[in-house]
Amino acid sequence: MPSASSSAPAASSSSLSSGPKTLTQNSSIYDIAHTVWQQYLATTPQRTMLLDAFMGFLVLVGGVQFVYCVVGGNYPFNAFLSGFCAAVGQFVLTASLRMQTSSAATSSSSSSTGGAKGKGGKKVVKGDAGEEGSGISAERAFADYVFGSLILHFFCINFIN
Amino acid sequence: MRWSLSSLFLFGFLAVVHALSSSGNRLLVVLEDGSEKDLYSTFWSDLEARGYDLVFESPKSDKLSLFDLGERAYDHLLLLPPRSKGFGPSLSPKNIVDFMNKDGNVLLALSGKSTTPSAVSSLLLELDLHLATDRSSVVVDHFNYDTLSAAEKHDVLLLQRPGPLRPDTKAFFDGEGVLALPRAAPHTLGDHALIAPILRAPATAYSYNPKEDLSAGEDVWATGSQLALVSAMQTRASSRFTLLGSVESLQDKWFSATVKAPNGKETGTANQDFAKQLTAWTFKETGVLKVGKIEHHLAKDDLTAEDLNPTIYRIKNETVFSIEISEYSHDRYIPFEVPANDALQLEFTMLSPFHRLKLEPTARTENSTIYSTQFTVPDQHGIFSFRVNYKRPFLTNIEEKHEVTVRHFAHNEYPRSWKISGGWVWIAGLWSVIGGFLAFVFVWLYSEPASAKVKKTQ
Repeated sequence: MPSASSSAPAASSSSLSSGPKTLTQNSSIYDIAHTVWQQYLATTPQRTMLLDAFMGFLVLVGGVQFVYCVVGGNYPFNAFLSGFCAAVGQFVLTASLRMQTSSAATSSSSSSTGGAKGKGGKKVVKGDAGEEGSGISAERAFADYVFGSLILHFFCINFIN
Repeated sequence: MRWSLSSLFLFGFLAVVHALSSSGNRLLVVLEDGSEKDLYSTFWSDLEARGYDLVFESPKSDKLSLFDLGERAYDHLLLLPPRSKGFGPSLSPKNIVDFMNKDGNVLLALSGKSTTPSAVSSLLLELDLHLATDRSSVVVDHFNYDTLSAAEKHDVLLLQRPGPLRPDTKAFFDGEGVLALPRAAPHTLGDHALIAPILRAPATAYSYNPKEDLSAGEDVWATGSQLALVSAMQTRASSRFTLLGSVESLQDKWFSATVKAPNGKETGTANQDFAKQLTAWTFKETGVLKVGKIEHHLAKDDLTAEDLNPTIYRIKNETVFSIEISEYSHDRYIPFEVPANDALQLEFTMLSPFHRLKLEPTARTENSTIYSTQFTVPDQHGIFSFRVNYKRPFLTNIEEKHEVTVRHFAHNEYPRSWKISGGWVWIAGLWSVIGGFLAFVFVWLYSEPASAKVKKTQ
């Protein structure tokens, strides 16, 4: 459940300003989950949600392959290794892309949400400065991601023979 | 010059035609008393008729030597029991063992009439054959004796011809008729794989020393079928040694004697036939195996000459091995047949056998049988060897070893991934990851957030 855990800080940071509903100490688990999910839907940028969906897909594919290996045996072991490692490696690469892009996205999203309060201009400048501080733009991160993924696919296809 | 060469060829050819033994026809007969020679005249003429060149020598003769310039001077040696203390310096136990190590065959006959010399006893000890300690015993049997010639002493044994030694060996000495063994000197056999008894004493026989009084006979050395009367020993190099307990059984008198068992009727003896079988086996006219061509190759239909006997195989290859074996029978090679309960086996070994397979007869030529088998090379690379190790009593040893290399799969010899249906799930997993990645990239590129443009316009 990486999507839920990674979205939690974003939700808590923005819940102060624009939460739809405040949670009390004796809220039910369902209420908490529902609030978190609503916060996630409301505050996550589209690209981050796309990343999360893709990562969920990779977890599903990797899980199916692992279960098949446990149930059906590992006979063409190289096929198992390359199939499973492709899923895991793609997940890791996607997670790092998310780390590199979502910080910029959250800062820009918080700036867009906070823009109504009047200090948007400063925030945008700060956000830009933060992006430059990490030294990686979203385009550069994406290009690295595509390059790494292609290398991964090349190795996996070769290894599966 | 040409004439002499061609005559040499002719004589050589004649000699080959004449020689019936597979290993030469020079037979040295060591006979101490020349006058005794006439007692065995039928035996000698039988041997000469089968192509042997008989040379009679006295053990006392100065020029007697088994070796000439370090090579064997004779192919076979027939020793009749000596009168004196031994066979003399040229036939010492060491010389006789050397003679056998050089592929010479020896037939030694003993007699219970006289004391066996200690030199002969020590020769037999070298071969793990043991005589009685007094060396002058005879075998006596009160149930299987000849009533005509030994009504009192019971020391002429009447025995059936021996059958096969074991159910899985060939019978070289069987046949109809009764053997008469007068005054046989018994011996016992050591526990030794190279020794095989040909004829044992019946269960009711015992060893008795006529020179001592009966009270000494209480301390019995060996009785019944512990006592062997005729035994064979074949060395690892397949030279042969036969010990015959009763030299008198080879005499003309016993070849044509009429005998009568206590409860039987009068019959002739089969001694002549048995003597022929015994000398034929000892002097390598029977039971000699020869390996012809050995072939191994991959199991496929269109074989060329280059495909035969390759030096390298791959693991899991289907391989065919075949070996051609002939057996010498009196005057020619005949196809060798493995006895019914026995098996000729191929081992595919690297240190220890990975396969031990029965070789089946697949083809038969005029004078050989081709045994072959097909098997899958084990999943283990290294230096292997095809081995055929066939050592049986009364047959010469076959020990063949042919080394081959077994390599592992080359990189392009593995089956492609999609050939293995078990891997389809993982192949699908890999391609769904790649497909998902492409779709993700596509969507990513077309979903640039509006905020960025807003940011830029600001």
